[in-house]
Amino acid sequence: MQVYTTDTPTSTSGRIKVGIADYAVDSDGGSLTTSGLGSCIGVALYDPDSGVSGLAHAMLPEADPSGDPAKFADTGIQSLLSEMQDAGADPTRVVAKLAGGSTMFDFTSANGGESIGDRNVESARKTLERLDIDIVAMDVGGDHGRSLELDTSTGDLRVRSAKAGDQIL
Amino acid sequence: MNLDVRSLRTFSRLAHSGAEKAAGSLTTLAGIDTYVNVTKVELGTKTDVENEFAERDLVSVNIGFSGGLDGRTILAFSPESAERLVDALVPGMDPTSGDGELAASSLKEVANIMLGGFIDGWADYLDTSIDITTPTYVDEDSGGPLEEVETDGFEHREDERILVFRNQLEAADDAIGFDLYMVPTSQSIGTIVEASGDDGALPVESFAAFSEMICDGANQASDDITAMTGIDTAVEVSRLSFVPIEGVPMSLTDGVRRGVVLEFTGTPSGYIAILFDEPSAENIASSLLPGMEADEAMRQSAIQEIGNIVTSGFLDGWANALETTIEISPPRHVHDIGSAIVDPLATDLAQSQEYAFLIDSTIRTDDDEFTCDIYALPDENELRKALEQLSPAA
Repeated sequence: MQVYTTDTPTSTSGRIKVGIADYAVDSDGGSLTTSGLGSCIGVALYDPDSGVSGLAHAMLPEADPSGDPAKFADTGIQSLLSEMQDAGADPTRVVAKLAGGSTMFDFTSANGGESIGDRNVESARKTLERLDIDIVAMDVGGDHGRSLELDTSTGDLRVRSAKAGDQIL
Repeated sequence: MNLDVRSLRTFSRLAHSGAEKAAGSLTTLAGIDTYVNVTKVELGTKTDVENEFAERDLVSVNIGFSGGLDGRTILAFSPESAERLVDALVPGMDPTSGDGELAASSLKEVANIMLGGFIDGWADYLDTSIDITTPTYVDEDSGGPLEEVETDGFEHREDERILVFRNQLEAADDAIGFDLYMVPTSQSIGTIVEASGDDGALPVESFAAFSEMICDGANQASDDITAMTGIDTAVEVSRLSFVPIEGVPMSLTDGVRRGVVLEFTGTPSGYIAILFDEPSAENIASSLLPGMEADEAMRQSAIQEIGNIVTSGFLDGWANALETTIEISPPRHVHDIGSAIVDPLATDLAQSQEYAFLIDSTIRTDDDEFTCDIYALPDENELRKALEQLSPAA
């Protein structure tokens, strides 16, 4: 189940909110925002020529066949890219920016394995590599939360953090 | 009335797709972008619903439904949201003048379209037909939001457990917020449970017993805060809801919160986050460290101390009622974006479950100057075992 529909009607406000386990595409030069990334990974894709952009907010690294594709980094990126292609993006021009994937707590249930945050970043990287999309900027890991705003007219990704301050990727 | 996790999932999906239809109707009608934020299935009492409406001064429009399903849907707004919505629909109208009637009728029209769409979704799923009544406008001066319902022979005792489907919708860049409630009769809940396949349903009394346990825990936690800090607090809400796992962090805003996060293990195991807004955290630090120039480390340890106390107050009752031991980890101090704090907790559970039982309690002072939110996320399977323990037949 998706919390926000990805087939959101044409935005009148120029700002589309992307929920958790969700992605959205914009080609009108508006902005795409998502909040509350802890261990989740945010993936911004941008085609500078067509201006078609997308933002995904995935919770877990690898898809579970019965799950909603938007919930997972691998299938979420794939679905986002397909939707961007449908909106006129050329995948050979698309570049990516990543943010999120932090490890905020070291709970015992992690069993000393790699944290979900790290696994999310790894899965996003591998998926983008497989799709031949360059990662041009990244703000991942650490132990703090982030909120994102993608300016689809420039491809600028503003990363807000309560601890590390704001930056633009 | 019996409930099982499978029917709760069905309820959640239905409520969500109904809410999306409702949001879509408003977008089409008024050209206002409308999103469904979170869909929750809650078990509460009629009094809980009435209290919430009274505390938030909600303005609402009711529509009754009958046929394949019987009950009531309510579209509720804060007075500010209602005003903004009316302004978006009929620009320039002055809601304080004689236009009040007009404002109410625009809200009724919106509700008619949104709630109608919502109910259609349920009728489709159940392959039945559901009739709806004309909308009734209720403001803070009228009776409670469920008042009208009573006259239709849809009676609830004050303390009777009712299932409430609550959908938070947002429009126009968060400027307008709605809550869309649906309260079916318990007979109708039975109809839906049957339609979704009843495997190992638990009597609703088990959920009710658990809800009461949560309320007792929240009251204990509130008393402990008052005893420790001298700040006179009370429990404002305390509820058990069933939400898609991604809806858990989305229940929080991206405002900065300070507090603690703990892990608990036993039957059930899970996570707890105890979060304060910044002024409340400051309040705690200064009341626990009176007259001292507290540095950051001292503040953190004051917050951790209160976190420990609140957690024990909150969980001890559970362990007693469930005749089990619940161990708690040392509290980790957090100071971050609220939704991001809860995100890793929900994500950890998301590896093995698609939905979550979310327990959330708010403890605050009368003047709202001090607020403490407690979020508990038990493992779904383990909670189910715990509920079996509470079942009258057990």
